[in-house]
Amino acid sequence: MNRPSEIPSGATRPAAFAFGALGLVLLCVGSYWGLVVAPAETYMGDVQRIMYVHVPTAWNAMLALTFAFGCALAFLFQGGWKWDCRLEAAMEVGVVLSMLLCAQGALWAKPTWGVWWDWDPRLTTTAVLVFAFGGILALRTFVDDPVRRGTWSAVAAIVAYIDVPIVYFSVKWWNSLHQQPSTPATVSSAFHLPLRINAFGILFLMIAFITLRSSLAALRLRGELAPPLPEPAVTTALAGTRG
Amino acid sequence: MSGMGVIEGGWEFVWAAYGISAAVLLGYAASLVARLRSERARVRREASRGLEVSR
Amino acid sequence: MREFLAALRKEALLQWRTRAQLAAIFMFGASALLLFSFAIGPDSAALRQHSAGFLWLGLLLASTLTLAESFQNEMDERALEALLLLPVRPTALFYAKAVSNWAELTLLGVGLVPIMVVLYDAGTDRVGGLVGVILLGSAGLSAPGTLYAAMTSQARARQTLLPLLLFPLVVPVLLASVRASSLLITGDPMGQVRSWVVLLACFNAIHWSVCGLLFGRVVED
Repeated sequence: MNRPSEIPSGATRPAAFAFGALGLVLLCVGSYWGLVVAPAETYMGDVQRIMYVHVPTAWNAMLALTFAFGCALAFLFQGGWKWDCRLEAAMEVGVVLSMLLCAQGALWAKPTWGVWWDWDPRLTTTAVLVFAFGGILALRTFVDDPVRRGTWSAVAAIVAYIDVPIVYFSVKWWNSLHQQPSTPATVSSAFHLPLRINAFGILFLMIAFITLRSSLAALRLRGELAPPLPEPAVTTALAGTRG
Repeated sequence: MSGMGVIEGGWEFVWAAYGISAAVLLGYAASLVARLRSERARVRREASRGLEVSR
Repeated sequence: MREFLAALRKEALLQWRTRAQLAAIFMFGASALLLFSFAIGPDSAALRQHSAGFLWLGLLLASTLTLAESFQNEMDERALEALLLLPVRPTALFYAKAVSNWAELTLLGVGLVPIMVVLYDAGTDRVGGLVGVILLGSAGLSAPGTLYAAMTSQARARQTLLPLLLFPLVVPVLLASVRASSLLITGDPMGQVRSWVVLLACFNAIHWSVCGLLFGRVVED
């Protein structure tokens, strides 16, 4: 495998914070627009405003997990520790966004359908993804050998991602028997602008998160692959007194 | 979707959704920064220990 | 192909020698079915309606035991390393192990059907169809299950990790098998069993190929 010196140093803080700040600003602008400026929707009223934050979160959660899939393929077939660090980061950010998505979906479903969970295929698939990729993150904490950890989580991420369309279609057919209308994915054109602003806001935040989390993973990996020297007391005991 | 009628109000759900989103995003950012800081501190501690030994 | 058959013979021998374990796991599955009926209550109509769900939940829980056991033999005495030193491709080992697990799960499933019929009054005259669904569903559990069992048997906290990793992945198998079995038991006026069977077949086609391809990376050193 690669030498420890080839692990990324994690010196990407300025760029990450710039992305993060920009994303935060965009998110504030987009949310203000969606909450205050945009008119209420005809049928769903003001509850529809949740879409301005729900749909961008959905896009970005899937983007994060797709990026994780790419990192897994790169790690397995090209090699390089940076892909393992990015895989861990992308999975963690993807799981966080997916959990947020489920919470937003429940808050949308309660006033609309009267129940906290309406088994919408997209949201149900997201819930399954939380458990699937959360499980892979748990797997990582139980494996000590970095090479094995990287290979196994890459394999698991590939299998989990390939499963996503199958899970989606099976839940869709399963739910269609009960004739439940689903959460709207499309928003009429009058409301596109706040949606797009928020989408880019969350995208930039996500890029910042993945970059920072990836450098955290890199720092930890360095400590594992190039373990630190022992305590001075031990070294002096072995080598005789200093000076 | 049509035929459901107009849903009145529901602002508390809207605020809750935006509030949770803000809390999760900011909270995760804070946890990242905190974890990075403690990891860098650990690396600095071990580097200085290494310098002591080699002196 | 010869490697696969040789490995399969080894698996069959192993299964035969450890058949007492299969009996114990069957008892576990049967007791799970009993507990489900206690959870629902003595309402025969409700039990019959959900009988397929209970059968597959019981089989899913039992599968975590069989899958974990299937690699236990390789981990004891470090047999897995010895196997990999032989000039045998890892994919042959995977398919032999997966087929052996498939057979075991099918036996378990078919064995639990009489329990289901008795406890939930869930008889059906489409027995052939039910066995077919059990065959397909067990295959769907077996392929990813064997891959993850190979991983988790070498990790810490293996009891927790295997179900944690496997359950989200086999949601389509659970959905499709339960729907298809349920329709076979309670009646299928619109002929929907076919589409669920096709879903199971697609799942199996994808996972039996992908998991086989990736197995080599999981067990390499």
